[in-house]
Amino acid sequence: MIESLTILAGALPYLLKGSVVTIGVVFGAMSLGLLFGIALAVGQVYGAIWLKRLIGLYVWFFRGVPLLVLLFLFYFGLFSLLNINLTAFTVAVIVLGLISAAYQSQIFRGAIVSLPDGQLKAARALGMSDATAIVLIILPQALRLAIPAWSNEYSIVLKDSAVAYALGVTEIMARAHFVASRTYQHLPLYFTAGVIFLILTYAGTKALRLLEERVHIPGYSQ
Amino acid sequence: MGKRILWALALLTAVFILTNATYSMAAEKIYINGIDANFPPFAYVDKKGNADGFDVKALDWIAKEMGFKVEHKPMDWDGIIPSLRAKKIDIIASGMSITDKRKEQVNFTIPYWNIAQVIVAPKDSTATVDELLSKGNKIGVQRGTTEARWIKENLIAKGKNFSLVEYDSAPLSVEDVLNGRIKGAAMDDAPAKDAVNKKPVRIVGTFGMPSEDFGYAVRKEDSELLKKLDEGLKKLMASPYWNELKRKYNP
Amino acid sequence: MEEMLFIRTEVVPALARGIIVSIQLIIPSSALGLLVGMAVGAARVYGNRSLTFAANCYVAIFRGFPLVVQLFIWYFGLPYIGIYMTPYVAAVLGFSLCSGAYHSEYIRGAFLSIKQGQLMAAKALGFSHVGMLIHVIFPQAFRRALPGCGNEIVYLIKYSSLAYMITCIELTGEGKIIASETFKYIEIFLIIGAVYLFLTTIASWFLRRLENRLSIPGFKPFSV
Repeated sequence: MIESLTILAGALPYLLKGSVVTIGVVFGAMSLGLLFGIALAVGQVYGAIWLKRLIGLYVWFFRGVPLLVLLFLFYFGLFSLLNINLTAFTVAVIVLGLISAAYQSQIFRGAIVSLPDGQLKAARALGMSDATAIVLIILPQALRLAIPAWSNEYSIVLKDSAVAYALGVTEIMARAHFVASRTYQHLPLYFTAGVIFLILTYAGTKALRLLEERVHIPGYSQ
Repeated sequence: MGKRILWALALLTAVFILTNATYSMAAEKIYINGIDANFPPFAYVDKKGNADGFDVKALDWIAKEMGFKVEHKPMDWDGIIPSLRAKKIDIIASGMSITDKRKEQVNFTIPYWNIAQVIVAPKDSTATVDELLSKGNKIGVQRGTTEARWIKENLIAKGKNFSLVEYDSAPLSVEDVLNGRIKGAAMDDAPAKDAVNKKPVRIVGTFGMPSEDFGYAVRKEDSELLKKLDEGLKKLMASPYWNELKRKYNP
Repeated sequence: MEEMLFIRTEVVPALARGIIVSIQLIIPSSALGLLVGMAVGAARVYGNRSLTFAANCYVAIFRGFPLVVQLFIWYFGLPYIGIYMTPYVAAVLGFSLCSGAYHSEYIRGAFLSIKQGQLMAAKALGFSHVGMLIHVIFPQAFRRALPGCGNEIVYLIKYSSLAYMITCIELTGEGKIIASETFKYIEIFLIIGAVYLFLTTIASWFLRRLENRLSIPGFKPFSV
């Protein structure tokens, strides 16, 4: 017991440094997913029929294949084939981001569709182009409405990022493994890794909750 | 405000991708050595989180001697050769056995270490190797290693009555030997000795697999680097530091 | 020619073996997960204070720890306190408990969506407590929870790919072993990706059919 605790205390700074890597992966993936997800959602709601089909296909693929399989496919396969040399970290960000874009697009699509139809018409009547109306009228509301679901997506991406250790990204989980290989203290190390993830989940969702209250429009609910 | 956040995010993403892309084109070439950080004493991560081990320190010495820069990067072992070929890393100096099958994929330096494969069992067990590899027992092994392939082709395929359980790393298989889920684990003798030093296990003996040589692996086209590594290895093995390394890591 | 022989004698049997193990993981885990989810969901809504508290803690931990970490704790961690499970049992337990925590969220929401008035009406009509649960609450709650729980089952199919890490070699594990021996990563992971895509598509299709089949005109399931 004492031995485990001393090893754990010694390893903690190293594990915590791993959370910087984890946060980097999650931040990159969520940003990529947000930008791409918004584009996909707008395309799926307002786009031409072929565009809708294409986006549907994208969403179907990235929601249907396990993260691990996509990581291996992209890391060992696709990028090598295209002769693009990316680090494991970048591949993890891209793959998690592409998957998250598929999920986020559905969140934003739901939010856009939930807005009353009349708004777009009113904007047109005021002489706005459709693109302006989407950017200035629809998205500001839809993004606000999407925050709760988005916060859920954050906690999923955060936990999924632990799988990236399989590529050798030195995030929290990989570091727990390395220390365990040297010290044979598997249970305390895995448990500590789990607790760090729990804290990151809690902190992130709490921050998003605050954001939700901050940008809430008085008298406006879904 | 939302729009500004979006723009900031777009900018950040772009910067992020660009910095990562240019990272590999940095002015001075730093060779990346891919290691299996779950393979003590040849390669592991020390208390401070730095790469350490026999191979790590040996390569550091060679790099200094031959005038190039090297960085060690922990990698997933059973995908390490594809990573080398895909230029994610430039060298594999991490207790890799030289085999004909691997030679089709990569080039190896001169051998620097001869290693035998052994079976590890709990300290209090009295079973012999033959007893362990029979009676439908479960034996652990690391995924993607030469011993995993050899055991499948030469023992199990020829009718030996036991089954193989495949682990992420040798230490995890030792863990399960202690847990009693498997009767024994097959691995290189160096990590086996490391386990014996740390845990109540013993080395039962070899199981008939011919001993192997470790070498550093590089891509087929990197003949220049191979030459440097070969020369460096020769110099290292002739120097007193070689014995010092052996004493320190006791592989 | 040699290539073809290799595919026939090694790749196909290994992947077939892997698919069987994957399915053996997915089916019991999703059934068990649903059961756990129903029990925990009911406890969170109808339980007394300590039961609700315990159930909430369970959900917070199992939704907060990454699944990989949970699997490693079940398999390599628990022996520290004298509990030994086979890889298969550890994987099924890990999957069920994790997805149970998620299921309980949907089921809790579904229970809460049933208005108090209905319960009073049922009591007034002379329903017993159990009878009310079975005839009034469950049929509605089940329909409301179905979309969320269905999604969770699709997630589970994908997450079953993590089992190989604790030596339960399923489809992804078999694929990884062959890929690292043959260096044919792209081909093998494309095949494996297609298999998972097939499984998740069938599961979603089936679940959607079930939803439509059970839908009652005028009864609106949540739109989340």
